[in-house]
Amino acid sequence: MNEAIKYTKAFEELQLIVEEIEQGEISVDELSAKVKRAAELIKVCKQKLTSTEEDVNKILKELEE
Amino acid sequence: MPELIQDKQIFSLLEVTRSIQKTLSDRYASSYWIKAEMNKLNYYSHSGHCYPELVEKVNGKVVAQMRCTLWADDYKRVNAQFLKVLKEPLKEGIKIFFQAKVKFDPSYGLSLHIMDIDPSFTLGDLEKEKQETIDKLKKENLYDRNKKNILPLLPQRIAIISVETSKGYADFMEVIEKNPWGYKFFHMLFPAILQGENAIESINYQLSRIEKVKHHFDVVAIIRGGGGDVGLSCYNNYALAKNISIFPLPVLTGIGHATNETVSEMVSFQNSITPTKLAEFLLQRFHAFANPVNDATTTIVRESRNLLIAVNSVLQSEAKLFRSITGNLILKNNNTINALRSNMIQTARFTFKHENEVLLNLRQLVRKDVSLLVLNNQRELMQSSITIQKDVGAILKTAKQSLTSIEKNIANMSPESVMKRGYSITLLNGKAVKKIRDVKPEDQLTTQLIDGVIISTVESLKKKEI
Repeated sequence: MNEAIKYTKAFEELQLIVEEIEQGEISVDELSAKVKRAAELIKVCKQKLTSTEEDVNKILKELEE
Repeated sequence: MPELIQDKQIFSLLEVTRSIQKTLSDRYASSYWIKAEMNKLNYYSHSGHCYPELVEKVNGKVVAQMRCTLWADDYKRVNAQFLKVLKEPLKEGIKIFFQAKVKFDPSYGLSLHIMDIDPSFTLGDLEKEKQETIDKLKKENLYDRNKKNILPLLPQRIAIISVETSKGYADFMEVIEKNPWGYKFFHMLFPAILQGENAIESINYQLSRIEKVKHHFDVVAIIRGGGGDVGLSCYNNYALAKNISIFPLPVLTGIGHATNETVSEMVSFQNSITPTKLAEFLLQRFHAFANPVNDATTTIVRESRNLLIAVNSVLQSEAKLFRSITGNLILKNNNTINALRSNMIQTARFTFKHENEVLLNLRQLVRKDVSLLVLNNQRELMQSSITIQKDVGAILKTAKQSLTSIEKNIANMSPESVMKRGYSITLLNGKAVKKIRDVKPEDQLTTQLIDGVIISTVESLKKKEI
């Protein structure tokens, strides 16, 4: 669930930055920091889209317990 | 014919059963329409015949029970009718309305020979059961329960209840595994029977297993397909629908059929009409996540560029404005300075001229004063010189008189004057003798007088007594 919270938060924060930037709410002073943060968030989100960390063997083991 | 033994009429079993058979066939000559519950179908695939066990229950308790026969041809016809009307085969656990004759066979005993079964009665009954399931779930406030689960932004980890060899499972896998966007899913199959009466227990069992490891999954997908539209009334079963509804993860159904939606599908978080559609629903969720993320890059780059352009343009126009304002200001100040300068030069010239004149005046004034002063001083000096000459004459006269008197005194005191009055000087070796001790006997002394000298020799000395 932590993982879900992580990427959900990243997604929401990214949306917020995009909205702010679209609304012109970001000043030129903040721009660099915001763009840098957005790049990090995009990386987290894209990573999530193309990978999972679940392991069938681990689940099977838990099912046997 | 019965035998007579010891006055007793003895019947053989066959005679008795034949008698019963005769009585019953006379009494129940015609056929009847009967309603009952199909407890067991007892289909024998080898012969194709069925030997159903029918019951009637009151409050769940069997109050009547009877064996039946349904011959292969009749079964085939009835089953086809059922599949056509109910989308369900003739099966156990349903209520049937059938035409039958009471049969008694000496070897097999009493049974009902089923000639026909009316599927529409069963259909009504199944509909009734479905409605009862819905009503019960609603009454227990469970109908919407699964829909209240929260589907994660990315339903990525899927517990699949399906049959590995089914077409529906293959369709589903094809869509999610070969998606061209590279979306990654984690899926695990929990194999189950998906149609017919056994499906209820089988699916419930797998749901309970998934619940045990639910933290590894985002959703449950019940996938069936390629099995035709039969055997789906199990999805209207209360126990199954309830388990789906109360399941702690969103349950997605894609059980692929063309009949009315079953209760299980109604209560699921999301129902898709086919496994393919279900897979597409999941991909759609991924798109809903991926698109804003992908667009974010474009938007941020575009808006950043726009912002920079806008700021730059503001800056340039400000710079222009600044230049123009400062230019004007400089020009204005320059003019003021120039005006001040010429003003100052003029004032200075005037002041110089004026001061010069004042100076000239002063010089003339000073010159006049000075010559006057010099004249006065000369006059005073002359006055002083006259006064001094006068004073000096007087002083000189007085001094001359004093000098004459002093001269007279001095002349009176000269040796000649003194000698004239009778004084003489005694010399020894040219020096005046002043004390007696300077002289000894036999010294030759010279005594000077006004008109010559006396040379004498000393005889003796006599010192004056003091």
